[in-house]
Amino acid sequence: MTIIYQVITASVILLVGWNLFREKRLVEQMATALVLIPLILRVLMIK
Amino acid sequence: MSSPYAEMVPILLMIATFAAMTFAFKLPVSVSLVGAAILGALVAGQGVPLRHLVEGTLGYMDTLLIIATAMVFMRMIQASGLLDTIAHHLITGFESRPASLLVLMMLFAMSAGMITGSSTAAVLTTGAIVAPAFIALGISKNKTGAIIAMAGILGMIAPPVNIPVMIIGGGVDMPYIGFALPLLVLTLPLAVAIVLLLGLKSIRATTIDRSLLPPTYHRQYGWKLYLPLVILVVLIVLERALPSIVPSFGMPLVFMVCALVAPFTGRRMNPLVVARDAIRAALPVMGILAGVGMFLQIMALTGGRGFIVSLLVGLPLGLLYLSIGLSMPLFGAVSAYGSASILGVPFVLALLGTNEIIVASALSLVAAMGDLMPPTALAGLFAAKVVDQPNYTRVLKHCLIPALLTVGVSLGYIATADFWDRFLFWDNRLALYGILLAITAAVAVVILILDRWVIRHRVATGEAQS
Amino acid sequence: MIEREGGYGRGWTAVVLLLMTGAVLLTASHSFLAMRVDPPIYPGPGVTHVVALSDYFEGLIGTPADTAVYILEGSEPGGTALVLGGTHANEPASSLTAITLIENAQVTRGRLIVIPRANHSAFTCTEPQEGYPQTYTIETPAGPREFRYGSRGTNPIDQWPDPVIYVNAAGQSLAGSEVRNLNRSYPGSPSGNLTEQVAYAIVKLIRQEDIDISIDLHEASPEYPVINAIVAHEDALNIAAEAAMFLEFEGMQIGVERSPANLRGLSHREWGDATDTLALLVEAPNPAQGRLRGQTTAKLIVEGIDPYYVRAAQRGLLYVPFSAEGHPIDERVGRHLQTVATLLDVYNSYTNDDIVVAGIPTLSAVLEQGLGAFLAPPSGPESGL
Ligand SMILES: [Zn+2]
Repeated sequence: MTIIYQVITASVILLVGWNLFREKRLVEQMATALVLIPLILRVLMIK
Repeated sequence: MSSPYAEMVPILLMIATFAAMTFAFKLPVSVSLVGAAILGALVAGQGVPLRHLVEGTLGYMDTLLIIATAMVFMRMIQASGLLDTIAHHLITGFESRPASLLVLMMLFAMSAGMITGSSTAAVLTTGAIVAPAFIALGISKNKTGAIIAMAGILGMIAPPVNIPVMIIGGGVDMPYIGFALPLLVLTLPLAVAIVLLLGLKSIRATTIDRSLLPPTYHRQYGWKLYLPLVILVVLIVLERALPSIVPSFGMPLVFMVCALVAPFTGRRMNPLVVARDAIRAALPVMGILAGVGMFLQIMALTGGRGFIVSLLVGLPLGLLYLSIGLSMPLFGAVSAYGSASILGVPFVLALLGTNEIIVASALSLVAAMGDLMPPTALAGLFAAKVVDQPNYTRVLKHCLIPALLTVGVSLGYIATADFWDRFLFWDNRLALYGILLAITAAVAVVILILDRWVIRHRVATGEAQS
Repeated sequence: MIEREGGYGRGWTAVVLLLMTGAVLLTASHSFLAMRVDPPIYPGPGVTHVVALSDYFEGLIGTPADTAVYILEGSEPGGTALVLGGTHANEPASSLTAITLIENAQVTRGRLIVIPRANHSAFTCTEPQEGYPQTYTIETPAGPREFRYGSRGTNPIDQWPDPVIYVNAAGQSLAGSEVRNLNRSYPGSPSGNLTEQVAYAIVKLIRQEDIDISIDLHEASPEYPVINAIVAHEDALNIAAEAAMFLEFEGMQIGVERSPANLRGLSHREWGDATDTLALLVEAPNPAQGRLRGQTTAKLIVEGIDPYYVRAAQRGLLYVPFSAEGHPIDERVGRHLQTVATLLDVYNSYTNDDIVVAGIPTLSAVLEQGLGAFLAPPSGPESGL
């Protein structure tokens, strides 16, 4: 189950990353990058 | 020993910074929360505590995944044509029973919240399914949003799954037993009252406009179209009904599986683009949650949280009710679960001696109102997304009276806890169920009479216009 | 959301933001990963051998939940006692009491088995949104010794995701996050999740080592009703009551609570039901755990002083007295030590299989000399010489 959830998290990260590059407003880009923080830490199983 | 008021400075500054950044500088809520958190830490002499800031965001890890996957699921079944189809059949099937339809759709909208314990999941699934039907019945977009937001919240509190109660119970060592009836008695009458309050006037004023009716794809794709929804229900019910045999999939996995099935069941779509746009729609909320996580962590670190909690629970009994009614929804802005844990537990302890089940049930509903409280306002925000209203405050405006009513009823529930303690925990179960059944039947009859009244009124206005 | 700010976002700004996020993640990760290293425990003269919890259930081998079990065996045969510390890694007096026993106690009759980090995984992280420090230090005569402040539950990295509802092996339904709470997972299951496997291993240890009396050490927030108390399974109720009487006689306030029969999955209920052991749980007051606490610092954990709790006590909101002196760790660990010693004494008066343990510091000794006086120097017993 943990691996499945890592895959789900990884796919959400990719979709968030895709939106980061499509976003045209800097502040919204910042908000998007913020969301990546917990997702990446969890997918790498650090926190 | 430092003065208890020392902790006041960072928290007040954090709130002021947040307000200034959002309202004066028009920055996104998430970025403002981060700014406020950093400043609060600086003022409290903590420097820029990177570890704390990052750690705070992790508190919402599971919520982030639920929101992301639920949003993808919702957009997928919207793109496949399932949402439109269900709305179409609901309206045509219940054309002569509009009031009953309102109530039934309200209960249906609640159902996902009842089994998942999450208002977001409810709004984005069963809420999204009935929203087009409410709109086609002549209820405005914003009111529809308010109805499904309230349905999501009441569903989250209604049994069998009520996470805020479980969180409160975890804090005071109270098992999750005997809550079903007290929670039903609290939530169901409110649900019926709220949907009639918000919807009855609108459906009375309009006849159904056939051209506004969403199209049905039932003939084109057949039963295959409903597959994502069927799988969703099967997986969730299996997980709940047989917890010892079926592994716990968790909401994100269930949503993900159903979202992956959806592209093959109906209208053609590019699933990657649908998923990307779904995440884009969810991103502001996800950002807010990450920001709120940082804010909360710094609040706890600097003592601002303790300042607020100890101020609130220390009030005398009369003010205690006021404090519950105001602070729990306010605090719920950071999430209903957080409010249940941080304030719900101390409030139950402060009210010790009153029936704990009644108190915890009522407190969970008050905490759940936090899902309507900006900046997060999860239920309101997603309801606005479902009805395509970019400005979610328009939806929240219509939630105000239902929310006040709900808080009032909840506080009344606590105040009359002794009565409910005797009535709902009455040893004569047969008599108890008899009375409850009779009341339910009476309400059903009233709704059926309302059906006729609405139809008749429509005819009358039609004649007046001609 | 806000259109006014539009236009400055480019591909390169996204890359810059990603790099910045990476830098933040690297810094934070460094600090998160540092918690995976166990600070040393120095077995005192009484420790005869050290085994692993996985020796009782091999499913734990190589997992982050495997943890050291210290056995202090007397030269004469007698009964066996188990002291469990660190069920909840955010209750420092629990683990510290166990460590003090390991570093000081000497058994002449019977055996004392001590697990200082019962939920080992819980010591490797702090709970999000609580603002806890990762470590705190106790002053010893040879300098400050560092300990970790962990979380209530198993590290989510080691057990993820949580279910919506957790139905434990005893059939109790709980909020999903309780799935990582060791003290809701008893009697555990060999095929369950990591926390349930730990619970299973502990129950198996109790059976295999024929433990006569088991004491689970905890702390609670000052606003929590069960505090400064011994919670006892009905079989252990008179021992708890008698011990409480002796402790009160010595000037230490302590209550006795009967283990509720409908609250399943807790140590004092399931150990007693599933095995022959006398199951007891002891609570001390820890303001750092409470929701009313002010600044969350290492100082609060060690000194236990908090102005909000003083005011809350004045308003009658607490279940324990709370003055400006607070409840320092010396007092909390001292209470636990004294309670363990007294429980063993009372137990001995009922049996021929005595468990005679010397060298347990008393409450008054810990209050006088400070806990640090009973702990090994930071870099080991030899380093002080
Ligand atoms: Zn504990």
